[in-house]
Amino acid sequence: MYAALEAVRRNPALKIAVITKVYPTRSHTSAAQGGVNAALANTDKSDTVDLHIFDTVKGSDYLADQDSAAYLCEQAPILIRELENLGAPFSRLADGSIAQRPFGGASKYRCCYCADKTGLTILQTLYEQCLRYGIQFFNEYFLLSLEQEDGVAKGVIALDIRTSKIRKFEGKTVILATGGYGKMYWHRSSNAAGLTGDGGAACLRAGMALKDMEFVQFHPTGLRKSGLLVTEGARGEGGYLINNKGERFMSRYAPEKMELGPRDLVSRSVETEIREGRGFDSTAGQYIHLDLRHLGADLIKSRLPQIRELCIQFEGVDPINEPIPIRPTAHYSMGGIDCNTACETSVKGVYAVGEGACVSVHGANRLGGNSLLEILVFGKRAGMEAADLASKLPAAKISDQRLKDQEEHIAGFYGKNQAERYDVIRTELGTSLADNAGIYRSKELGEKGLSEILALRERFKKVKVADHSKTFNTNLMQVLELGNMLDLAVCVAKGAAAREESRGSHSRIDFPVRDDQNWHKHSIFHMNAEGEVSLSFKPVTMGKFELQERKY
Amino acid sequence: MEDKREITFNVLCFNPEVDEKAYFKSYDVVLEKGITVLRALNYIKDHVDPSLTLRFFCQAGICGSCAIRINGVSKLACTTQVWEELEVSKSKDTITVEPLRNFEVMRDLVVNIDPMVEKLKKYKSWVIPATKDADLGKKECTVMPEEFEPINPATDCILCAACYSECTINEGSNQQFISPLVMLRAYRMNKDTRDTVGEERLKVLVEDHGIWDCTHCYRCVQSCVKNIPIMDAIQGLREETFARGMTNSEGARHALAFKDDTMKLGRLNEFTLPLRTLGMFGAVGQIPFAIKMGLKGRVPPLLPHKISTRKQVQTMLEEVERDSKKSH
Repeated sequence: MYAALEAVRRNPALKIAVITKVYPTRSHTSAAQGGVNAALANTDKSDTVDLHIFDTVKGSDYLADQDSAAYLCEQAPILIRELENLGAPFSRLADGSIAQRPFGGASKYRCCYCADKTGLTILQTLYEQCLRYGIQFFNEYFLLSLEQEDGVAKGVIALDIRTSKIRKFEGKTVILATGGYGKMYWHRSSNAAGLTGDGGAACLRAGMALKDMEFVQFHPTGLRKSGLLVTEGARGEGGYLINNKGERFMSRYAPEKMELGPRDLVSRSVETEIREGRGFDSTAGQYIHLDLRHLGADLIKSRLPQIRELCIQFEGVDPINEPIPIRPTAHYSMGGIDCNTACETSVKGVYAVGEGACVSVHGANRLGGNSLLEILVFGKRAGMEAADLASKLPAAKISDQRLKDQEEHIAGFYGKNQAERYDVIRTELGTSLADNAGIYRSKELGEKGLSEILALRERFKKVKVADHSKTFNTNLMQVLELGNMLDLAVCVAKGAAAREESRGSHSRIDFPVRDDQNWHKHSIFHMNAEGEVSLSFKPVTMGKFELQERKY
Repeated sequence: MEDKREITFNVLCFNPEVDEKAYFKSYDVVLEKGITVLRALNYIKDHVDPSLTLRFFCQAGICGSCAIRINGVSKLACTTQVWEELEVSKSKDTITVEPLRNFEVMRDLVVNIDPMVEKLKKYKSWVIPATKDADLGKKECTVMPEEFEPINPATDCILCAACYSECTINEGSNQQFISPLVMLRAYRMNKDTRDTVGEERLKVLVEDHGIWDCTHCYRCVQSCVKNIPIMDAIQGLREETFARGMTNSEGARHALAFKDDTMKLGRLNEFTLPLRTLGMFGAVGQIPFAIKMGLKGRVPPLLPHKISTRKQVQTMLEEVERDSKKSH
């Protein structure tokens, strides 16, 4: 939506459509609780943009492209002020300036927030401003394909969920802001139901490249039963992680930062505690405690009200009186559509932004508070670039044959021989990924995962859509989403098996250290017409900061 | 052993392609304790009836997609525990699930919420900032914590439309009414120190189907999934009309007449109230209604007596006025 806003402000004559699978305010941005980083230096006067860049690059385990990371952090204060000027309700310091709090992996108090509803309020503000500018929304359309000819964008084909009509949207430029692919971990994922990587899958099918797909961040503190996240804010405000011996075990893994170490480190620490028998037992699996009780009822009620509500509603635990049962859960996908700092992909006129893109600012591990920032900074950049290019290009055309191809593809799911159940394949996919390409990985596990996923993808060819209605067919949506997840899961597993080192979120039992000599490079994934995925590599863009060991 | 029960879900289903009208489908499923209504419905969709149609997304109570009526009350399916609903359910081990009210049903539990979006647009539910486009991002606006506090609760709103569904005036006005969530947004925008179009917004808000049509039934407050004090926002907007001297609307005149009567008589003069609210022409339009009332024996006294305790009533009113002046 930031892209649309920027584009309409830049050139009001452009015809802009925002096509979305769900109503815009339903997007998963709303679930980001903690905050958004910007070196405003309001709370801590000593913070600088350079420190923010350094924290981001270090957090990424040096896999981030430093030109992109620098752009992200330089633009951050401008973007936050801009959003603030437009009415975003940030929490305030006593002097009326935007308040900032500490966050995982950040060396200063840098994270701007609105209580624990930061993502929700940013999303609402953007939506409000889009309504103000009269942006045209196509709500509840499902992306079927990205159309390009000879490396030039032609638009997209999408299915109107309400009527099942397949429509073409001819466009000189297309911005893909389609979200992550973390839902492929299904029951071990905190993601919304629709984070199925639809944009990435469309790019793969259009012959475009995905990047660094093996990097999936596990959030250290998902609720034991539902996988829902207890935000980093809970640790930022001073929560303790405690094992069954009553120890604050982070002292072993990050003696200085303790609970505020970066996410990958905390996730692995929690997983190690559980694997080494220092977790608590339950029917829903092993877990450890996130204890907030010492913070007191007043602080919990005023600063972490949503977290408290979440624990009560989904886990039956009131953090004022009891520790919260947590374990790591798949949370964020660092990988995505390969693009550069200008959000440009290999196809002229196609831009990618947000969690669905890999620009890459998060590298092997994203810092808390940088994802909301990414959608703002690169949303604006993509809007800027797309608007300027669209003003220069001739009109785009999509042939009717392409519509027919999509109609045939969908009709295939209703065939007589379709017998496989989508929900069975989906659950098996989640289990295989969590077991083989989860927090801990190895060559053996990765290859096992890959062959299991390829087998699931074969079975998917026989999957059945049981609901034949043309009206709001959510059964069809679920099947289409599963197809997208399977294609991307092949990339994740292939990357997890191939990368023989441990870097950021990618942690190999058989290669426990980072190997800059051989693996300081991006993984690039392509898919051919037969659906085979190939892997190649691309160098990392360096800048001010030399490779260093990553220690907290 | 996990606590398990066989539960019947009665779901109001409707597919415009084949059904003339909505009908209840029953699903009997065995579920364990701790499961939410959303997970139960998805269990039914995955294992019993793939055609069951509902919206859901975040499954964490923050996106607002899965608002439906559960045992007659509009709420989010993803934050509602099955076991708790069974406790309040009228028939044993049965939960009734229906789509939201006040919207057109597209299929089963999915309703068309576009009219809600249209209302957001009609009442300018966005900040038009003092900062010029060219100056955006250059400088932070100062918002003191005490200026932020009044708008803070309203920014909890996730547009789930539970209040829209429960609103009795929305129902009574054939969905023409502004509806609670839009008033909440308007209040939030008008209280925002960065916004510049409060008066313009308020002019639309006092028109027909606007803020004066609410009858304080509090259904919106009761059903708000984020416990937002929506009525405070509605009252806040009404107070703002007086603060801005916008007293020339039916609602404002009605409120003023109420106050005058209470001061003078300690009670309402219902006979002259329509005249003062609607003006001569408007009141004439009410004559057929008055005759009907008369035929039913519901005639207000022509010259109402002052009530004996009116001094106390006056003191109370004066005190309220003093308090509200202090807080402004």
